[in-house]
Amino acid sequence: MLSRVAESLYWTARNVERAEDLARLIDVTAMRSVDRAVDAERRWLAAYAVAGIAPPDGEIERNAAIERIVFGSETLLSITSCVRIARRNAIGVRAELTTEIWECINGLYLFVEAHSPRAIGPDGASSFLHAIRESAQAFGGICDATLAREDAWMFLRIGRYLERAAMTARVLRAMEPDAGPHVWQLVLEACCASEPYARARQQSFDPVEALAFLALSITFPRSLRFCLHEVDHALHRLSGAPVGTFATSAERTSGRICSSLDYAGAADLAREGTANVAERITAALDELGSSITSAYFPRVPVG
Amino acid sequence: MRSILDRYAPASAFDEFADADGRPRAHYEALAATLEGISSADFRHRVTTVNTVLLQLGVTFTVYSDTRGTERILPFDLIPRIIPASDWDPIARGVAQRVLALNAFLNDVYGEGRIMREGIVPRELVYSSVHFEREAIGIRPPHGTFIHVSGIDLVRDHEGTFLVLEDNVRTPSGISYVLENRDVLKRSFPRLFEGYEPRPVDDYPRRLRDALLASAPVQAADPVIALLTPGIHNSAYFEHTLLARRMGVELVEGNDLFVRDNMVYTKTTRGPQRIDVLYRRVDDDYIDPLYFRPDSSLGIAGLFDAYRAGNVTLANAIGTGVADDKAIYPYVPAMIRYYLSEEPVLDNVLTFDCSDDAERQHVLSRLEALVVKRTSASGGYGMLIGPTSTHAERAEFGDAIRANPRDFIAQPVVMLSSHPTVVEDGLAPRHVDLRPFALLAGNRVDVPPAALTRVALVEGSLVVNSSQGGGSKDTWVLAE
Repeated sequence: MLSRVAESLYWTARNVERAEDLARLIDVTAMRSVDRAVDAERRWLAAYAVAGIAPPDGEIERNAAIERIVFGSETLLSITSCVRIARRNAIGVRAELTTEIWECINGLYLFVEAHSPRAIGPDGASSFLHAIRESAQAFGGICDATLAREDAWMFLRIGRYLERAAMTARVLRAMEPDAGPHVWQLVLEACCASEPYARARQQSFDPVEALAFLALSITFPRSLRFCLHEVDHALHRLSGAPVGTFATSAERTSGRICSSLDYAGAADLAREGTANVAERITAALDELGSSITSAYFPRVPVG
Repeated sequence: MRSILDRYAPASAFDEFADADGRPRAHYEALAATLEGISSADFRHRVTTVNTVLLQLGVTFTVYSDTRGTERILPFDLIPRIIPASDWDPIARGVAQRVLALNAFLNDVYGEGRIMREGIVPRELVYSSVHFEREAIGIRPPHGTFIHVSGIDLVRDHEGTFLVLEDNVRTPSGISYVLENRDVLKRSFPRLFEGYEPRPVDDYPRRLRDALLASAPVQAADPVIALLTPGIHNSAYFEHTLLARRMGVELVEGNDLFVRDNMVYTKTTRGPQRIDVLYRRVDDDYIDPLYFRPDSSLGIAGLFDAYRAGNVTLANAIGTGVADDKAIYPYVPAMIRYYLSEEPVLDNVLTFDCSDDAERQHVLSRLEALVVKRTSASGGYGMLIGPTSTHAERAEFGDAIRANPRDFIAQPVVMLSSHPTVVEDGLAPRHVDLRPFALLAGNRVDVPPAALTRVALVEGSLVVNSSQGGGSKDTWVLAE
């Protein structure tokens, strides 16, 4: 596969995943701010921090946050920008995508472009974000349902799970869940983990268990460990090297992160502290991103 | 119920649908009967649906003059154009004949130059063509094939005779509309097909692939094809993606390729991959910055050397533009006689060569009655349509012709045939042309029954180019 194509597929998937995750985050934050006004400003600041977008100088409130994080076109990090970037990358690799995948991403783009803060109005944010999230999830589903399990699919998968892990780590870092169970509840919701966590741990709420669930669960598809194993697996299928060994620096990095999660216990993480765990994983993911780039998307001809 | 055909009244041109008495021609009768049963409201609804489908599919082109870089859908007209086999057969033969002659001409021009030595085509016209590539002299491309893909533009005069308006032998586009139009019409309006069995168009990509494979360098054992696109901002990018997808070949940009030891490779995640045939949709000027435009970032340094060494097939070959230079066009019938010893099946439109003193005087004195074209231009740019031009435009063209006579030809206005076309309040006659495509490998020409009908959507307009407000129609070539 062409390196340029591989890179575009990777960024398409990353940006679609990011749009989905941000849509969920903004939706749960907005829901929360309706009946917990006292906490609202802090929650919105956390949302800005997760998104990596600077908060405005003025009042920190819902409408401004939606305008900036959802629609902001002065940043490449807003939901609309992600959708544009994803489509722009998809255009460059249209020949690799099935028509159904293209129609999905193009449909998401046309939908987003047809809306503005004014158009969705004061009550329309939730259904708008819902539609974005569904469309982004459909993208993943259609990729899985229509693409051969070959290189294109692998690069989409790597992009999707790397971004998802990065978002989970950012949520853990920026939202300061240890401030109290109600913040932990919000963090779980932002990771779509509230119900799965409740089902997995039926005892009373325990922050150590919640952190362990989001970081170490091997079955929950948004946990750090799950996501990293998906990336590791896809990297190994690309290179042909068996899992547990490595052929490229990318596999070496992903393998290292995987084992740091595979052999950690809930108590270890609790000792390290939520913020430190999130910090460490975020740094490791950045390194993984660079090693994937140098292994597969080099700027100079390979070989 | 009022039918959308009720008020269809052809104007003065030859009408594809209705005969002189206003009755549907035999091959349109079944379509007319179907249309009679469809209400205007129902029809309008389908028009809207179809446009939404096209937008969602992303069947768009970019308008260069539009600073917003807007993507637009090429307007698709729901009423199909029907070509009976008795009309298609001579078209296919005539197009094949023409392409063989043009290809022989290119072999000659970049080879021995016999046709110029014998005075059949003036040497100075060839050498003064902006598309004549000096660097290509002496290079014989694999199998002597220059024009792997061409599109020959035909029009019908007031008597219904098909004439060649121009040849496109560089990087003709439009086939994606042929493929998509058929798909969309079958999906949105299957009822229209009742009583017809148009020849399928969807095997075009396979036929193109076959022609490209057959054109590979002889030493390439298991040839690999790639399609080279200028990138997503090119107006035909959609077409490039569609053809690559349907042929199952890699769509590459200049930066994806590199040349080492006169071999062409793509940069892949598994290292270099050798390329044997490059179906390039990039103009000669941009293909290799070392030989042509040094400022081009679309091209690949060293590609020309690989081509000259015979290691890669470029489709089309370098330098084909001299054959579709509009100043060369008047000589094509003579080429057909010279190279093939045959009479042309399709005639040219009468053309005045402005580099000839007498013809130029004639042109300058009758500008208001003629169409003037720049010999190097295409796409409907750089034209003067005499009857609808202003005094100032005529003066401007007059000066330009006097300054550079070689750059202009002129033709009488051909009243293009008309065809029922969807307008605000039903159907109205609009002018159409026809672009059949030809695929050449060695001396074997394939003219698939997949031709593009372009339609001038503005009332009375004779310009069908997409950049100038044209649309397109599904075109049915009937088996018998």
